[in-house]
This record gives sequence, structure tokens and C-alpha cells, in this order.
Amino acid sequence: MGKYILRRFWQSIITVLIVLFVMFMLLRLMPKENYFTRDDYINMTEEDRTAYLRNLGVLDNPLVQFVRFLRGFVTGDLGRSITVYPKTPISEILKEKIPYSLWFGLVSVLLSVILGFLMGIGMANNKDKLGDQLGTMYVVAVRAIPSLVYLFLIQMWITHLFNLPMVFYEDEPASWILPAISLSLSGIAWYAIWLRRFMVDEENKDYIKFAIAKGLPRNYIMKRHVLRNALVPLVQYLPSQILLTIAGSLIIESIYSIPGMGGLLVYAIRQQDNTLVQALVCIYSILGVFGVFLGDILMAIVDPRIKLTSAKIEREVTA
Amino acid sequence: MKTNNTNIKMKLDTSPKNYGDILIEAKDVEVIFNLRGKKLKALRGAGLVLRSGETLTIVGESGSGKSVLSKTLIGMLDKNGTITNGSILYRGVDLARISREEDWLTIRGKRIAMIFQDPMTALNPLKKIGEQIREVIVMHCGLDARASRTAALEMLEKVGITDPERRYEQYPHEFSGGMRQRVVIATAIACNPEILICDEPTTALDVTIQAQILELIKKLQKDMGLSVLFITHDLGVVAKMADKIAVMYAGQVVEEGSVEEIFYDSRHPYTWALLASLPQLGVKGKELFAIKGTPPSLFKEIQGDAFAPRNPYALQVDFYHEPPLFEISPTHRARTWLLDANAPKVEPPEIVVKLREHLKKTTGR
Ligand SMILES: Nc1ncnc2c1ncn2[C@@H]1O[C@H](COP(=O)(O)OP(=O)(O)O)[C@@H](O)[C@H]1O
Ligand SMILES: [Mg+2]
Repeated sequence: MGKYILRRFWQSIITVLIVLFVMFMLLRLMPKENYFTRDDYINMTEEDRTAYLRNLGVLDNPLVQFVRFLRGFVTGDLGRSITVYPKTPISEILKEKIPYSLWFGLVSVLLSVILGFLMGIGMANNKDKLGDQLGTMYVVAVRAIPSLVYLFLIQMWITHLFNLPMVFYEDEPASWILPAISLSLSGIAWYAIWLRRFMVDEENKDYIKFAIAKGLPRNYIMKRHVLRNALVPLVQYLPSQILLTIAGSLIIESIYSIPGMGGLLVYAIRQQDNTLVQALVCIYSILGVFGVFLGDILMAIVDPRIKLTSAKIEREVTA
Repeated sequence: MKTNNTNIKMKLDTSPKNYGDILIEAKDVEVIFNLRGKKLKALRGAGLVLRSGETLTIVGESGSGKSVLSKTLIGMLDKNGTITNGSILYRGVDLARISREEDWLTIRGKRIAMIFQDPMTALNPLKKIGEQIREVIVMHCGLDARASRTAALEMLEKVGITDPERRYEQYPHEFSGGMRQRVVIATAIACNPEILICDEPTTALDVTIQAQILELIKKLQKDMGLSVLFITHDLGVVAKMADKIAVMYAGQVVEEGSVEEIFYDSRHPYTWALLASLPQLGVKGKELFAIKGTPPSLFKEIQGDAFAPRNPYALQVDFYHEPPLFEISPTHRARTWLLDANAPKVEPPEIVVKLREHLKKTTGR
């Protein structure tokens, strides 16, 4: 087990380094004009511009820049935003924005897991009956209808119905409810449909037939064999999903005016804010890879077969 | 019977005396499966008698209904199947009429246990071996955590697993196929059932392991006084295990009798054909005999004797009327018109006669 964790750890580190390197080098190909705000660029002389770039370090050998970037990253210095929040240190931007996305995200993961699991269990237990069909309808609806449509409807109608605020106010807890729920709708559907599927898969396996022949009651079999085993392929995704809540949700944060991380990367790319882009990609890829790493360890804990065999884990679910 | 049987109060008569030595008596069992609206009659009036302490083997080609018949005994027919006729008496209860799962829970695993073909998939891969045995003991014997653990360890020892303390904590993937089948057997007999149904328990194992598992089942049967219903399509296995044999064809038992009666004095042409196709006892230099043709489709109503189209001894009447079970001795019965008083006298094929001699020599039975 220890060996397995160690090997997966080094693999993760190498993966992150490769991702960062490629991303960093690609960004070096961007035009140098991107390092200026528009006003600065217009107001500076050619010499000023060169001096500014030299000062930023972007004229150095890219490899040197990469090492400097990594060193800065480790010490918490992410550079300054250029165009999105001109001249503001990125670490400050993150410090301000992450908590919103993180809290909403964590609450939504919690809601999704609890409600999604309950729904999935209910659907598997009533396979092909009304409950299952209603559940499937919900899942299909959430998946098929563009989220903007139902999220907008929720915002319009539910706020009206229960007299809730239309947008997010930090000091008004009632305004937190709808964003949290909206954020969970697709997560609930995801957990429900996969848990149902894995439970149905397990139920059809031979060992369940033998468990029935042993004279164990159905409830016991569903709980101790079917559910227990069906959870295994799902726990793997939990760490990634928790960690990546940091990235926030573009749609929900914008319709409820939550000043979180949602969409920050998109704006940064659109406004060609190189330093912000590289900081965000760096953070997200570390969290992503680290989430998969934690998932694999969790998986090895709940599935005894993995300890002995190689690190090959079937990735059946695609998030 | 699907009719108003929900209110039957199930009373299992557990006193030993009342039923002589007959434990299970199944009569005229008919099972129909519903396959996307089409009806498949898997059992067409099958019957068997299982006596206390003996091993009854069911043989027959694949698809003849062996598994279906054995599943009716523990209420484990697939969801699309129903028992539409007949009775299965066990200690004063007609198992064919039990419809509530709760009622089955007092029988299944506790009094009638069953093991299946593939030991590689019969155990939960994520649960410790010991726990999988223990959960049955807790459920049926009502022992507490400690006592049930001890009992589970004893069971492991009983089925020949060395170092049970260590093995108890291991998972199925740490066991070989043969060892897993031992665990499966330990689980099945953990609560001292009186009947053990084995549905081709060694088919998936290689030959040496197969022999060990057969020995184990025999030994347990003796030690625990089990009655065994043993399903196989391998007559070599039958020769090793059986006291009684039931030969199945197309959802019916076409001949039943003691081992001696079936091997040395069989009367049904299908039994002859089976005997002639026995590979282990094949006569050197002679081609292995295979039964020509295919079994009838069970989707259609079968007229006459189901074996008639493949039967070189078929009489005219076989194609129109189903033969009844003719009694040859109190334990020996066969379903063929050849036993009718008006039928012409026929001898079994030469190969079967030779096989009998060969069998006598090799198995000493
Ligand atoms: N769930 C089912 N649905 C439809 N047909 C079935 C089902 N189970 C068994 N059968 C059919 O019943 C017949 C007997 O099957 P089975 O008892 O499994 O044969 P075997 O003698 O090989 O054990 C076969 O024709 C099989 O196709
Ligand atoms: Mg079978």
C-alpha cells in the first residue's frame, strides 16, 4: 500500500510538471503586447516598453522564466494580473474570490452526494417502477435541457414563490439558498444515475445469487453487498470534485452575481492576461491531478484487490 | 401455482419422524418462463424424490431443465418464471406454493442450501471470506459476533482450509478456484442444512481440483448426514457421487433409478445415448458416440415423446402420445413406450452393453 501511494505520488508530480511546462511554453508564444494594459502600451515609449518587459522578466530565456515561475509559485508569489485586474497581485485576487466558490461548492457537493445517493438507491431498489422512471426523467431533464434555461426559471419563479432574493447578498443567508441548490441539481443527477447503474450491475452478479441462496434478506443484501460494492467506483471521483469546487461555476455565479472564481479563467484568456492564465491553469491542474491521486488512494482503501495488483484502475465513469 | 396462495400460513414440520426417509418429493412440476411475451415451458411435469442421507444426481444435456428444477426447490426461479403446476413437498409444506420471500428465508440457506457452478464469481470480491461465512451464521443460527466468528473458523477448517485464522481475514482474490469453492461450500453448510443442492459445482474447475471437491462433498455428506442433490452433465461424476440418478430430457425426468439400475439396467433410449457418450469410459478405438440432432424447442407445445425425433428406437406411438412413467422396480422408473406391454422387444446398443462391462472393471461398482 505504502509503495503504491508513493509511486502514484511521483507519477502525479511528474504529470503536473509536464502540464505546467507545456502550458508555460505555449504562453511564451503569445505576443509580448499582452503584458501591457492598453493605456500603458499607448503611453509608453519603445524604450519604456522594453525596460518594462525586461523588468517583468519575460525577455529572459523561457527555461529560466519557468524555473522562476515555479519558485514564485511555491513561495506564494503568483505575479500580478495585467488586464483583468490591472497590477493587482494574483494571490490577493484569489484570496478574495476563492472562499465564495469554495463554500458554495462544498455545500453543493454535500447536497449532491446525499440527495444523489438517496435518489440512486431509491431508483435501484424500485428498478423499472414509477420511482425509477421519475428519477430517470429528472436526470434526463437536467442533462438535456440547457442549464441556463432551468436555472433562469428557478431564479424567476422560485424566488417569487418563496419570496427569496434574486441575487446573492453576502449578509443575507436567505439569498444563499437558491445558488446552492441550483449548483447541486446536476450533481444530484450525476450521482443518482451512476449509483443506480452500479447497483443494478452489482445486483446481477453471481455473488448476489449466492447471497440470496444463503437465505439473506433482500434489504440486507442491498445494503451490505449491492450498495457497498456500488459505491466503490464512485468514491474515486469524490476528491476531484471537492477540490475543483474552487474553480466555481461560471453560469450560477454570474446569474446570482456571486463574486467567486467562476469564469475567471475564461475572462483571463479572453483578455489575454498571461500571468493570470498561467496561475489559474497551474492551480487547477495541480488540484485536478492531486484529486485523481487522492481518488486512487481512496479506491485502494475500499477495494482490497488493488493493493496487490498493479495501479491499473478502470476509469469507467466519465465526469 | 400463482393462484391465491398469498395467505397460506407456512408451517414447517421439523419433527424427524413424520415423513419416513423422503425429504423432498416433487411431482409434475411445470415451470413457464415469459420471454418478451413468448412462453417457454422449461419444466414439463418433472418430478423427483430425495431421500434422507442419499445423493441424488440429476443428469442431462444442457438446457434440459436441471438448474430450473433445482432452483424451484429454494424459490430462486428467475423473475420471469413461475411454477404453473405440480407440487414440491418438503416437511409438510408445498414449496411450489410459497410466494412470500419471508417464508423462503426460513428454508433457504438454513435447511436447504445451494452452491453454484462458478466459484470464481460466487463470493463478494470486496468482503472478507470469514465475514461472508459469518453473516449466514448470524442470520440463521442467531449467534453473537464472537460465537459466529468461532463457528465460521470451524467451518473453514471443516472444508479443509489450513490456517483458518489468517484465511478468515483474506479476500476472495487471494484464493484459488478450488479454495474458493471450499469457502462456498463452507458458507452453504454453515448452519447445518439438511439438504445441499450442488449445481455443477466442479464444472469450472480442473480435473484434479474437481476430484478433491467431490471427495470433500462426499465426506461432509457422511459427517453431517446431508442429503445431496447433485446436478451434473458428466456421467463420470455421477458414477463417483450418486446413490440415485435422475435423467432429464426437455424438462422431464425420463428415467430414474439407483446407480446400478441406471448404469446396468437402463431402459430409456436417451439414457443409453447418454451412457454411450461418456468420454471417460469410451472404448478405445471406437469413436465417441454423440447424440444426433438437437433437443426440441421448448417454446412450442411438444407432441408425443420429446426424444422421439432423435430416437433410433422410436415407435409410431412416440410421435403422437406422451409415454407415462413405467415402473420397473420400486426405485426404477422410465418414461418410454418401449416398456409398454405391446412394444417390441429391443436391446440397448452394443456400445452401452460394452460400457457396462468396462464400468464394472474401472469403477468396481
Ligand atoms: N430466466 C429464463 N428465461 C427464459 N428461459 C429460461 C430461463 N432460465 C432457464 N431458461 C430455459 O429453461 C431451459 C432449462 O434451463 P436450465 O435448467 O438452465 O438447463 P440446464 O439443464 O442446462 O441446467 C433452457 O431451455 C433455458 O433456456
Ligand atoms: Mg444448468
